[in-house]
Amino acid sequence: MDKSLSLVHVKLLAFDLLSLAQSPPDTPTFSLDGVSLSRTEVLGVVVYLCGRRRTGCVPCILWLNHATSPYFARQRPQGVRLIADLANSQASLVKLGAVTRVCGRITSYQGAVQITASSVAVERDPNAEVLHLLDCLKLARRVYDRPGS
Amino acid sequence: MASSGAAVGSGTPVTLKELRPPSPLFADGASLRILGKLQEYSVETTIAMIVDGDASLKIDTQHLRDLSFRVGSMYQFIGELQIQPDNEAVLRARVGRNVDGLDLNLYYQSLQLVRQFQAERARFQST
Repeated sequence: MDKSLSLVHVKLLAFDLLSLAQSPPDTPTFSLDGVSLSRTEVLGVVVYLCGRRRTGCVPCILWLNHATSPYFARQRPQGVRLIADLANSQASLVKLGAVTRVCGRITSYQGAVQITASSVAVERDPNAEVLHLLDCLKLARRVYDRPGS
Repeated sequence: MASSGAAVGSGTPVTLKELRPPSPLFADGASLRILGKLQEYSVETTIAMIVDGDASLKIDTQHLRDLSFRVGSMYQFIGELQIQPDNEAVLRARVGRNVDGLDLNLYYQSLQLVRQFQAERARFQST
């Protein structure tokens, strides 16, 4: 039976995220060992920044083009402004070396898995990364029911 | 739209005690993530020395910005290992952060758990 976790932000380790397959092809859904996923929460150290729109070895995209995007042109200006302000304030906090928690949709670009971020938060607790890692392992074994776990 | 760009090493987490020959992690160019207590730091050479028990490692910090160095504090660095002709290793750090307050026992235990998990996954995928 195909299990679907498409409605939740699944906590994944980077190597699991990067091994996701788009299923079916060219759809917004990805699968990992028969489980359907579309959203994720990851946490890690920022090791690469490009125009404030990309972080880490799990590529994370935080769009800052709300004012010019044709997608947002159809929405109410006040709402778009709020979304844009939030994205810009989150982007300003992301620095090289920061431990950052990213929630968003799993997407693909040029065949590579990436995350289109809906929220980005910098973690100050030095133990946050370890706790996230332990969460991912526990969820993989008890909830996602990963084969081999 | 962000492009893929060049691959950036994620830094394999490793303890200082594991970082010695003939470990496969002790390789020139290896992308590593290491943790240790700052024992000494030279502003002139930008070389830091971190220790973990009886193991130590030199860190080249010339590329790090916005990081203050305090002897006795715990730091985590991500970077590439450079093995010099005399077999001495220096980590050329790209990223560094102060991790005072990190539960070291929990950190080392989680490292083992992740390795175990990855090994189980690899065994499953190979069958």
